[in-house]
Amino acid sequence: MTDSEKLIKLKELLLSEDRDFAQNILQKLDSLEDTVNTHEKLSEKVNPIIDKKIDTFVEEIPTKLGPVIADALTKSQDKVVEALFPIIGKMIKKYIQQEIKALSDSINSQVQTTFSIKTWQRKVKAIFTGVSEKEIILSEMNQTSVEQIFVIEKGSGLIISSASKQESIDEDMIAGMLTAIKSFVEDAFKKDQQSLESIQYELFEIHIQNFTSYYFAVVISGGFDASFKNKLENKLFDIASHIKTDAVDKEHITIKLTEFIHE
Amino acid sequence: MNSSKKVVLVGHFGVGKSSLMRRFVQNTFSDNYIVTIGVHILKKEIKIEELNLTLVIWDIEGKDDIQKVRSSYLLGTSGFIYVIDPTRSQTYERFNEEIDFLKTTYPTSKIVSVANKSDLIDIEEFKKLLEQKNISIDYFASAKEGIEVENLFQTIGLKMVKNV
Ligand SMILES: Nc1nc2c(ncn2[C@@H]2O[C@H](COP(=O)(O)OP(=O)(O)O)[C@@H](O)[C@H]2O)c(=O)[nH]1
Ligand SMILES: [Mg+2]
Repeated sequence: MTDSEKLIKLKELLLSEDRDFAQNILQKLDSLEDTVNTHEKLSEKVNPIIDKKIDTFVEEIPTKLGPVIADALTKSQDKVVEALFPIIGKMIKKYIQQEIKALSDSINSQVQTTFSIKTWQRKVKAIFTGVSEKEIILSEMNQTSVEQIFVIEKGSGLIISSASKQESIDEDMIAGMLTAIKSFVEDAFKKDQQSLESIQYELFEIHIQNFTSYYFAVVISGGFDASFKNKLENKLFDIASHIKTDAVDKEHITIKLTEFIHE
Repeated sequence: MNSSKKVVLVGHFGVGKSSLMRRFVQNTFSDNYIVTIGVHILKKEIKIEELNLTLVIWDIEGKDDIQKVRSSYLLGTSGFIYVIDPTRSQTYERFNEEIDFLKTTYPTSKIVSVANKSDLIDIEEFKKLLEQKNISIDYFASAKEGIEVENLFQTIGLKMVKNV
């Protein structure tokens, strides 16, 4: 996937326009309203009849309704699949991605651990550091790396400063969308005084750290474990101490960020 | 010199906010109505004298009441473009109230108002109607025909930069 494809994906997933989705909902609302209204009117008359019928109906379900449903499903299999696909598709995709990752992880680790000196080194390291051997393996395989870092003004979502390992896709739009997502999520959980701390996106993790008038968004690839998070947070506090929002020295911040990203 | 500003399109469902943005940024138009869910952000750079101004434009889902719009989407906005549809009077019935609300809630931001879909109406007739209702609209635009779209974005840019 290229960067711009990823941006489109991100848009699709999180915000974007979705005519079918909206129209579907509208249609469903209409028919629902209809049903409810009619139901209210009808229920008085109909309820007594239904009550009588319902007992016999229940008895007959296995013989009468079972085949009908099965038949309907078989006949309109395509339609059922079509209706369910968007929902299930996303779930399956995510599941498969995870499974593949887990599988390749386990293969890698097996290959690496068999008969190697490293195994013994790891075991020793595990004993002395208290970090489990598995985690050491994982972190060796999956080098954590800071790909991109933004300082973004809260509210407007405008970039105060940014640095990135590769020439990147449209940063202004990413920053805006991150801010929109963040506002949306935080609004939704307002009661709990929560703030959004991270977003997982494909194999990246976007770490978010809030300050009063701005926030950091750090795009990380590879394993993102507690110790890395701790280091990262400290580093960001350190950089933040150089940011004075009343008179932002953008160049100075950018230098700091660039240093950090190539560390 | 470079600078960026956040511009938000506001107004009821279906007045043509997304169409105006698409016309301005991508120079395209579609007759299909695609409902905006959440936020859609695009950007375009314009020139205000020596300044390269990047407009980061937020196209948010339409609401029939500005106060129902998620306020966090509106925070930090330097310029609002308030869009009405001259063919549907309910989109400008409460125009003055809504503008007042924006002015008091976001006192430092600039506002440009626009009647879109002007290709569907007799503009002079409509102006008379607005006068009766004591409504003043800055632009009579058409996203479909590409009329006045460029100008209205240029004006919001100028207002934000010059603080006028
Ligand atoms: N005739 C005409 N139709 C327009 C114009 N602008 C938008 N429309 C149509 O109005 C409908 C709503 O437009 P849209 O941009 O989605 O409105 P939004 O809900 O405010 O974002 C669409 O069917 C557009 O094709 C215009 O300038 N002239
Ligand atoms: Mg729209």
